[in-house]
Amino acid sequence: MRIGVFICHCGSNIGGTVDCAQVAHDAQSLPEVVYAINLMYSCAEPGQAAIEEAIKEYQLTGVVVASCSPRMHEPTFRRTVERAGLNRYMFEMANIREHVSWIGKDKEANTNKANELVAMAVEKLRRNRPLHAQSFDVNKRVLVIGGGVAGIQAALDCADGNIPVVLVEREATIGGKMAKLDKTFPTVDCSACILGPKMVDVAQHPNITLHAFSEIESISGYVGNFTVTIRKKSTYVDWTKCTGCGACTEKCPNKKTPDAFNEFTGPTTAISIAFPQAIPKRAVINPDYCRQLQKGKCGVCAKICPTGAIKYEMEDEVITEEVGAIVAATGYDLMDWTVYQEYGGGRYPDVITSLQYERLLSASGPTGGHVKRPSDGREPKNVVFIQCVGSRDKSIGRPYCSGFCCMYTAKQAVLTKEHIPDAQSFVFYMDIRASGKLYDEFIRRTIEEYGTEYIRGRVSKIYPDGKGSYTVCGVDTLMGKAITVSADLVVLAVGIEGSKDASKLAEKLRISYDKYGFFMESHPKLKPVQTNTAGVFLAGVCQGTKDIPSSVSQGSAAASKVLTLFSADKLQNDPQISAVDIKRCVGCGKCVQTCPFGAIQLTEIRGQEKAQVIDTVCQGCGLCSSTCPQGAIQLAHSTDNQILAEVHALCQR
Amino acid sequence: MKFAYYPGCSAHGSSADYEISTQAVCRTLGMELADIPDWNCCGSTPAHAIDTELSTALCVRNLDIAAKENVEKLLTSCPSCLSNLRLARHRMQDQQFRTRVNELLDAPAAKEFPQTYSVMEMLHEIYGPDIIAGRVHKPLTGIRLAPYYGCLMSRPAEIMNFGDPENPTVMEDLLTACGADTLDFPLKTECCGASFGIPERSMTARLSGKILELATRMQADALVVACPLCQMNLDLRQEQASKAMNTSFHMPVLYFTQVLGLAFGLPPEALGFNKLCVDAGPLLRKLATAQKSGGAA
Amino acid sequence: MSTLKGKELRIVGFLCNWCSYGGADTAGVARATQPTDLRIIRVPCSGRIDPLFILRALFNGADGVLVSGCHPNDCHYSEGNFYARRRLEVLKQFLPVLGIDDRRFEYTWVSASEGQRWKEVVTTFTERIHALGPAPVLEDAQALFRVADMTLSPLHALGTGIQAPLEELKSAIKSRLPELDCVLGWQQGHDAIHSVPLFMRSPEDVDKLVWGPLNVNNLAVYLPSLKGKKTGIVVKGCDSRSVVELLQENLIKRDDVVIFSMPCEGTLDMARVMQKLGSYKTISQTDSDDKGITVTTDTGKHRFDMSLWAQGKCYGCATPGALLADVRLGTLHPVTPAPTTPPELAMLDAMSLEERRSFWKAQMDRCLRCYACRNACPMCVCRDYCVSDSRDPHWMTQDDSANEKLFFQTIHAMHLAGRCTGCGECQRACPVGIPILALRQHIARAVGTLFDGYQAGIQPKATPPLLGFEVQEKNIHEREWK
Repeated sequence: MRIGVFICHCGSNIGGTVDCAQVAHDAQSLPEVVYAINLMYSCAEPGQAAIEEAIKEYQLTGVVVASCSPRMHEPTFRRTVERAGLNRYMFEMANIREHVSWIGKDKEANTNKANELVAMAVEKLRRNRPLHAQSFDVNKRVLVIGGGVAGIQAALDCADGNIPVVLVEREATIGGKMAKLDKTFPTVDCSACILGPKMVDVAQHPNITLHAFSEIESISGYVGNFTVTIRKKSTYVDWTKCTGCGACTEKCPNKKTPDAFNEFTGPTTAISIAFPQAIPKRAVINPDYCRQLQKGKCGVCAKICPTGAIKYEMEDEVITEEVGAIVAATGYDLMDWTVYQEYGGGRYPDVITSLQYERLLSASGPTGGHVKRPSDGREPKNVVFIQCVGSRDKSIGRPYCSGFCCMYTAKQAVLTKEHIPDAQSFVFYMDIRASGKLYDEFIRRTIEEYGTEYIRGRVSKIYPDGKGSYTVCGVDTLMGKAITVSADLVVLAVGIEGSKDASKLAEKLRISYDKYGFFMESHPKLKPVQTNTAGVFLAGVCQGTKDIPSSVSQGSAAASKVLTLFSADKLQNDPQISAVDIKRCVGCGKCVQTCPFGAIQLTEIRGQEKAQVIDTVCQGCGLCSSTCPQGAIQLAHSTDNQILAEVHALCQR
Repeated sequence: MKFAYYPGCSAHGSSADYEISTQAVCRTLGMELADIPDWNCCGSTPAHAIDTELSTALCVRNLDIAAKENVEKLLTSCPSCLSNLRLARHRMQDQQFRTRVNELLDAPAAKEFPQTYSVMEMLHEIYGPDIIAGRVHKPLTGIRLAPYYGCLMSRPAEIMNFGDPENPTVMEDLLTACGADTLDFPLKTECCGASFGIPERSMTARLSGKILELATRMQADALVVACPLCQMNLDLRQEQASKAMNTSFHMPVLYFTQVLGLAFGLPPEALGFNKLCVDAGPLLRKLATAQKSGGAA
Repeated sequence: MSTLKGKELRIVGFLCNWCSYGGADTAGVARATQPTDLRIIRVPCSGRIDPLFILRALFNGADGVLVSGCHPNDCHYSEGNFYARRRLEVLKQFLPVLGIDDRRFEYTWVSASEGQRWKEVVTTFTERIHALGPAPVLEDAQALFRVADMTLSPLHALGTGIQAPLEELKSAIKSRLPELDCVLGWQQGHDAIHSVPLFMRSPEDVDKLVWGPLNVNNLAVYLPSLKGKKTGIVVKGCDSRSVVELLQENLIKRDDVVIFSMPCEGTLDMARVMQKLGSYKTISQTDSDDKGITVTTDTGKHRFDMSLWAQGKCYGCATPGALLADVRLGTLHPVTPAPTTPPELAMLDAMSLEERRSFWKAQMDRCLRCYACRNACPMCVCRDYCVSDSRDPHWMTQDDSANEKLFFQTIHAMHLAGRCTGCGECQRACPVGIPILALRQHIARAVGTLFDGYQAGIQPKATPPLLGFEVQEKNIHEREWK
């Protein structure tokens, strides 16, 4: 091997505390090094040109650049050596800036350390081998999981980009949480009016296949070629026949079925359509409350249905879809706020969640848009809003801000005034977080035009005052006084968490998630919609708290990532993956057992079981290499011998 | 069953009725409460507000006596004593603190102390609502009772370990076992203002008044308490509270042990009813009528 | 490379690319001044770090090794650091038995944004290593010879098994023989005080079968090489654990093995027995009774009571019968398991770190590097592809030093972590009698403590602890940085 070593000054960034000329001089005596020199800025155009020229002039077969962190410029220099005709993996970097010049002031020690890091890089490079990416076909179909506004946006953008979309929604209708909202902030425009058309577009788009009332069963495969099984839960209604006329819902005798869509603020029927604009507009039977399914006698809906769509014997169906990319947009759920016993822990009927209040405000809600107290149907006059119930509260293990509560609370205060002109709203808040476009202006209007009383402080207790109302005890931290407010209705801005069972889906997708059920993006700033599993993208609140505009943006962003991925007919894998030396392998399957990606399988080779890496699935973590006692499976570019060479370079007796 | 018992000072003074009824109820259930020898005041509220080490030393002396008697569980009926004894045990786990307290004692205290439990919790744990219900001779049918724990019994949660600090339910279980109509009393863990009984009498009156007011509105026949200080504020000072709230309360304030005793069929005078300031006569008469009509039916 | 004289010590860091290497970069970008001793090796994931890399560095003279990965739950590869956490913790617990101060190795989690934390980690660790000073060199240690105290009381009565139903066993084997390629047992060796493995393929072979305390070999060692063939095996209790472990690791198939269990009453410590017999020419007679055997040689009569002459492992044995068997013979008396410390391990436990280094220096100087320990080990299934004598990967040199030979022992022990059933064949096979089983026993004890009393080779369906993880480890807690 003919190795060239380039020591970068990075102006005075490295040159200031490292004797670069000395390091270059010392590098000349390292094994197989035929050329070593120091450069002022190796990443700049002249620096790169100097490297390219040296490769040609000295017939170099490998290059070491000692400069900044490889996390910064490794891709840059790999392209440089590639331009000069070398394989991009015949290159190593020594980090003498972030790990040397910037953290130590002693020039002697720094120079010595830089010398050693260069020597280590040379020893590693001596064991590098050219690696070549493999290309494979892409199935240009995308799966979108979750039909809330983020998922809808992602699905529509992909579909408009001429990509077939499979949209899977757990509930009977798409629309997600936004469909439950009455109005949206800060414009106070009708949620159903702006979301409705998008939902219709989903239903009518020729590129979108919608599986509502369905859940992901399993996911296998890899970027470009995922196989997904989907459980289509039994609705007891043949949706190919159902026209959504609603005749069944009118006649159903069980009118006391809990209504999840309305957040249990009112009852529905055992056979129901979630709301008038539901997509798909199809009926679903709740088997726990259906008299026919529970007791075997009733059958009213079957008799009334004009198309004969009712199928009491219907069972779940599992279908398989093949896709090349996946967008997770599973949204959120409210945290269990009943841990707040001081707020009654759920025992007081007129202490409700903000989402329940949305349903009471909504014209399609159980009260037809007339705000009535759940306990007695009376119109409330004093409404108290409490923010940060389950947000920013370390005492119950919820340290984070849920992001949108300040804004919707203001909106609900405005709507309260519009619904009940003589009502008075009080908002207990910790801080007002209104950083979006027109957001703070909206808060000011809420206070100044709608006369909402904002009280900075937390509420310590809510209790029925024995006269039909509630006493809300809190503190006004600006006044430094304990205060009590009498409330007819208390609305809690309950904190959010990743949607129920999000962690199970994350495990199926092989992506990380935090302890609150939010999915982990690849990089918090620079890769917000990517995940660490290639081909899996995130949209909306499933990744972290977001309001509607952000969720929509992220839906589009995820779609653009999918379209970018699909812009090539073939994908190339990263060749830094594991490979099995079959003569060393004893087929024990320890690597198969530990691989986090299911990238290794046992296959029979000449009558013996051997491990085999699926090149396209392997992500290159190297866990298998450290698991195999025989050293039979090695991670290319981080082989045992390469790491050992680095160890030997550093410590050798 | 014999238990080591720390009565606390008020048991022999202001809350003698609590002590009488506690002993009577325990005796009826077959539980003997034996005072630990030579016990002293726990320091109650005032001492703890002024000198942590000195006041802890007061508690530690009691715990040390119990430890030397090989007591496993120490019982007390007063939540304030309970809180102080538990807190002292907790604080003594800090070695530096322990050293400072030991310097105040005649001899270094034992390394390990027994844990202290409330009589209420132990009755609930040992007998449970089912057995208690089995001992009820005169069920309190039709009597509306508002359970009131006070602020100390369940707080701080990690020291007192008494269910949800905002919503304990042990007393409810016991009262329901007696056949009473137990109310979901929202102010059950609110402060009655005990600490300010002397320096800020008006505040105490207001805080106690709030509790009495809600109990009255909820049509309770009595407030049921577990704390001598609460009882004193709500009962002895009820007139002051009435004035503060511009009304006139007539709310008997009973110890939960007095209620249990009634249900067990013990005579009111054996339970210290004669010591109450707000007359429980109407309640007793209502009970008698209800029991008579219940018996006739 | 030599360290900067008088200023620096040799500290090696293994950092995952995604979190900790990024964290070190962040510290650099923030110009967070740190000691200069540390040299960082970048790896894709903390899960890539074979604990042997750390041992290699320490054996090569590193004064300290620091490993850092993504915080649990934040792994770029979602699970790598969970596996790493178990392996690194086992390593940390293992180091002291070699005479290496475990403070010289630390692992932690630093995210890419925690530049400040990285600075604190590096500073604290470097200060710690400087406080410990340069790592002592094994080759410089004063040789220390010490022998374990073998006066032990067994958990169950040790005997010679003369009451065991050998004839029943023979007929049981004969009846199953037609369906089997081969049945493994023991026969008399070159003289009456030795028994050797017997491969029974015909009824005549079966008649050669012997039973008794001389049947020291663990025949499970042959099973992996017979994978795919129908094989019968006669096992002692301890042997059966090896069979179970092989099943746990998918190295043999349950359907291919027929297990014959005999109640074991203990086996003789042949090293001590042969030492006592000294050099003899002929054995004229051996007599067995319940308690032991009497050997008459040309040099005289020698009595070996089982209670005094058994193998160290037999004293703590609570499984005289097979844990898994198809054919069970004889009656077993239940034994109450009790925590016991094997004699050699107890000896090492009582030593200081320095004494342990001296001890291993003395022992390893005697090692012939014959690999009999490896070849006798039923769990060493790599055979011809053992990393100790391969060039790719090239873990070891051919250097005949105590250092390199002890490194081989650590490879073996680390490869056996959570897998070793304590059969002791490594030590028994050692021609120079080095008590190497203690290293495996130490690691097995650490695994037991960390993973709820886990013992290898007990449950055929159990996942070996180093091939699994818990998101919240019960017994592994991150150390505070002091």
